[in-house]
Amino acid sequence: MTDINVSNPTEIKSGTQGSSLKAKIDKGRYFLLAPGVLWMVLFLIIPLAMMVYVSFWTQTTFAVNSTLTTKSWVTFFSSETYMNALFRTGRLWLTVLALTFIIGYPVALYVGQLIRSETLRTILLVTCVIPFWTSFLIRVLAWRPMLGKEGAVNIVLQKLGIINTPIEVLLFTEVSVVIGLVQIYVVFMVGPIAFMLGRIDHNLIEAARDLGASTWTIFRKIIFPLSLPGVAVGAIFVSVMVLGEFATPAALSGRKVNLLGNIIVTQVGSLKWAFAAVVGVVLTVVMALVITALLRVVNLRKEL
Amino acid sequence: MYHLNGLRWTLGIFTALFLVFLYGPFVVMTILSFQQGPEGGPQFPIIEWSTFWYQHVLSIAEPSRVAPLPIGEALIRSLTLAFATMVVSTLLGTLSAQAFRQNFKGSGVVFYLIVLGMMVPGVLLGLGMALVADQFDIARTWWGTAFVLHVVYTFPFSFLVMLAIFNRFDKSLEEASWMLGVDPVKTFRKITFPMIFPGVLSSMLFAFTLSYDEFPRTLFTGGSEATMPIAIYGTFAVEIHPNLFAFGVLTTLASFALLTIYGVLMALSVRRAKIQSSGLQEEIA
Repeated sequence: MTDINVSNPTEIKSGTQGSSLKAKIDKGRYFLLAPGVLWMVLFLIIPLAMMVYVSFWTQTTFAVNSTLTTKSWVTFFSSETYMNALFRTGRLWLTVLALTFIIGYPVALYVGQLIRSETLRTILLVTCVIPFWTSFLIRVLAWRPMLGKEGAVNIVLQKLGIINTPIEVLLFTEVSVVIGLVQIYVVFMVGPIAFMLGRIDHNLIEAARDLGASTWTIFRKIIFPLSLPGVAVGAIFVSVMVLGEFATPAALSGRKVNLLGNIIVTQVGSLKWAFAAVVGVVLTVVMALVITALLRVVNLRKEL
Repeated sequence: MYHLNGLRWTLGIFTALFLVFLYGPFVVMTILSFQQGPEGGPQFPIIEWSTFWYQHVLSIAEPSRVAPLPIGEALIRSLTLAFATMVVSTLLGTLSAQAFRQNFKGSGVVFYLIVLGMMVPGVLLGLGMALVADQFDIARTWWGTAFVLHVVYTFPFSFLVMLAIFNRFDKSLEEASWMLGVDPVKTFRKITFPMIFPGVLSSMLFAFTLSYDEFPRTLFTGGSEATMPIAIYGTFAVEIHPNLFAFGVLTTLASFALLTIYGVLMALSVRRAKIQSSGLQEEIA
């Protein structure tokens, strides 16, 4: 009797405690998430929404007013300058993406798979990151004395006897913009790929080798597929940064190569808010398509 | 075992060339920072070796036609901004990641909402914020409109770093502490915090670096008082001088100091964790 009397209340008590604990956790989670979510809605979602909204406003010479119109959109799609900038942005993005992959993958393969010593691997990765400690803009400007007619590249190539006359297309052309962009962003491709490659279980490769697979087969069937999430993450990083670029083209092309980002900067400079917003929305759509496609390859949440 | 020596050599040489490519501009920049001044420009050949441009950066050179970099104020603004961003972003990142330790309804949406902050190009966010400020008559300042965008940018990094840390975190330690009746605040201070400390450090490092060098978001929202990157961008339009390169070399050295501090703190925290866990084991035994 007494036993039951004693045990029953405790059972009930612990039961309610359990459910109230769950409610407490849910409530706690709400408080934990609220600041971050609020911040992102206020300072990320609202500005982006505002951009879409303003792109339909009426542009007068020095101001915008909120009368809705599609005039800025028509201007964008019927202007050769803007459409050229759109295609140029796409072309440059694909070129840089391909080059960062072609240059970055072998390096990642070396760092992630062929180096056994953990220390050496860390040293190499840190070496790749060190240039980031110099301001991005200064790193861009440093390409000018590299690529000019009397620049370091031409001097070295001439000293080595590889060329007789200096190469002139190196600076203030699309080539210099591509070189600059690749150098600045290639590490963002190397990092994620090397990370994924470093996680591959060596037993898997040993097993394949024991079963008689050639190096090429092992790469094609095991190593490359397992590194794909890294490639996708790297591609997301590079795409985000290259598609939004304007400083590198401005500095290395002598303002001859204009990307969508450059047009936004110019339009904002002359207070053409509605045009700038249209270009911004176009860039956002391009961006969204690229990222959605890449996220099909990789599930960010699972890779952590 | 491995019959990959040929491949290893090829890739090794490729990696070496890659490092040359990565460091080339930096080496050239360092060489040119010792150009003669104030007549020498940022190109070869070196007229005469000198430390003029370093003196110029530190404002101890004789006055010349080259305007000094606005280092004092702009640098202090940038450092203050980076520090504030670092604190807020790490705080938000830790709180949000803590909430993500158990799966919950709508977690996917919240996850991508946060990650979106690092995926939207800076120029778009800057433009959007400038539009909002313009329409609602909000003053554009580096400590207001620019600061909130910096956090939007760095918060996802902090969040992902902390999430990765929490994912590898042994929950039973915290539970054991709760069961033994230790209050949550003390549990956090004694158990949780020491374990997530490496993550907190990495998150702070990320946030500080990204914010300090942040440029496209600040360009439209920073207002009239320039941060360091904006001041450098201002020199794009006019002639560039080797003082920028000298400044680049100096900041890189300063960053090295920062990285070393980070490395030392990290090593200490790892060692302390090891000692603590071995001490615990001895006590239990």
